[in-house]
Amino acid sequence: MSATSPSILQALSPSDTEDVAQRRALLAEIDASCRGTLMLFFGAALVWLLIGTVFALIASWKMHSPDFLADIPWLTFGRVRPAHLNAVVFGFASEAAIAVTLWLICRLCRAPLMHGWVVNIAGVFWNIGVAIGIGGILAGHSTAIEWLEIPGYATPLLFVSYALIAIWGIITFRFRREKHLYVSQWYLLAALFWFPWLYSAAQILLIMEPVRGVVQATVNWWFAHNVLGLWFTPIGIGAIYYFIPKVLGIPVYKYSLSVIGFWSLALFYNWNGMHHLVGGPLPAWLITVSIVASVMMTIPVVTVGLNHHFTMWGSFHKLKDSPVLRFMVFGGMSYTVTSLHGVLLALRSVSEVTHFTHSTIAHAHQGMYAFFTMVMFGAIYYIVPRIIQVEWPSARLISIHFWASAIGIMLYIVPLIIGGTLQGVAMINPDVPFLDPNKYSVVTMTVPYLRVRSVSGFIILVGHLAFATSFIWIVARWIKAARQHQPTPIVSNV
Amino acid sequence: MTVVWILFVSSVIVLPAAALLALRWAVRHGEFKNLQKTALSIFDEEEPVGRMTDRFPGPQRSSKSSQP
Repeated sequence: MSATSPSILQALSPSDTEDVAQRRALLAEIDASCRGTLMLFFGAALVWLLIGTVFALIASWKMHSPDFLADIPWLTFGRVRPAHLNAVVFGFASEAAIAVTLWLICRLCRAPLMHGWVVNIAGVFWNIGVAIGIGGILAGHSTAIEWLEIPGYATPLLFVSYALIAIWGIITFRFRREKHLYVSQWYLLAALFWFPWLYSAAQILLIMEPVRGVVQATVNWWFAHNVLGLWFTPIGIGAIYYFIPKVLGIPVYKYSLSVIGFWSLALFYNWNGMHHLVGGPLPAWLITVSIVASVMMTIPVVTVGLNHHFTMWGSFHKLKDSPVLRFMVFGGMSYTVTSLHGVLLALRSVSEVTHFTHSTIAHAHQGMYAFFTMVMFGAIYYIVPRIIQVEWPSARLISIHFWASAIGIMLYIVPLIIGGTLQGVAMINPDVPFLDPNKYSVVTMTVPYLRVRSVSGFIILVGHLAFATSFIWIVARWIKAARQHQPTPIVSNV
Repeated sequence: MTVVWILFVSSVIVLPAAALLALRWAVRHGEFKNLQKTALSIFDEEEPVGRMTDRFPGPQRSSKSSQP
């Protein structure tokens, strides 16, 4: 919080905003106002990323070696797998998303984050909520509802913390000095509104006053699919729309396409989800609506893909110079691929083969990791040196992180899509037994692919450890510089 | 069931209405005019068009390609 920030009550009225003459001084003020808050969120996100990765490896290993840690109740597959999901979704991804959103809103609105301590408190309580939730899952208190496994006693903490954070983002937006909105702001603000709607609707319909039967499965898939499409996706796309042009110094190829992309996402995405229940006991029209909406998603996906690709056109050689660009372009391309793959998977003829197989798991990781997580990594590499005025300590560590994450996730996705599809073909073939260790069966044929998945998990872990080393190192440099009252000058062009 | 009805009404009426209001606000405030100018709004004197704003730390790897 800057010394000249108005009180909380004053902050609720935009009439008290002050003009700042020097644009550079304003940017410095904005970065300084976000510093403590963002470092708290990024640091906590990193811790959850490492915890979530370890949980993922344990769960993955159990898929092909079921006896592994089988005698420890709190590390059984049914607990460790949802613990992984919630650690990476609500611990890592959501915290990184919140921090990147707050910084982008401040930068694009040209307004400092006022009274950042409120967001800090919210951040602390968010982390306590996630810790209690994951502890509860490991203790066996999971709700057993996918993507909502955190027990009911932890969710109020998450909801109140999120509400405070979102309100602060909106207050910052109200105080904007830049009146015209850049497309990233549309995406980020929409995500801030959409997430509480999704989360509260799912909590009410599945936990507080639970619906029964097929409606339960419908709401569950609607939530699980839309939390990716209306919470993580808009923040990821909003970040890409800012960082790729900003890093390159080239405006986005066709701004008009970005407007079409945003409004078509808003119109079509929330109808999605039920296509995952093709063949289930749902009304046919409900599934058809989701399939149609999935196909219509081609519009925002193609507009975003064209815009990113043609903004990069002629600049691909710059990928070797910029770590942020590498992560962003990998994430952007993955968004296009995963979304078009999702359209394909939504079709009845394809879904009948691939659903309820490892192919769906590969698709989910393609969206959450190859797209969203890579974009968040890129954003963190861009933002942190600016807010603490310290350069990343090692280019080699960043390279290791990028290549381990990129190779690791590709080694995860491609074999699992192939294995999952073959698994689906086997599942609908009555001549193939479900489990027979002596011949080709649904369970045994997946084992080689699951082993490759574990290998890919180790490669990804190496990348995350390189990232953690970089982060701890830069924080140590920051603390050292702060003690000496002399910031380390940044060599790169920031 | 009351809370479910509140949820239903808010999802079916309030959210689409909010989206329409946002669209109306955007049209009235000229958000869809002069779109290419908006595309330039992320650049300024400090970080102008034509200047890369991120590189690997340490000595420049490929100064020829990264210079604007």
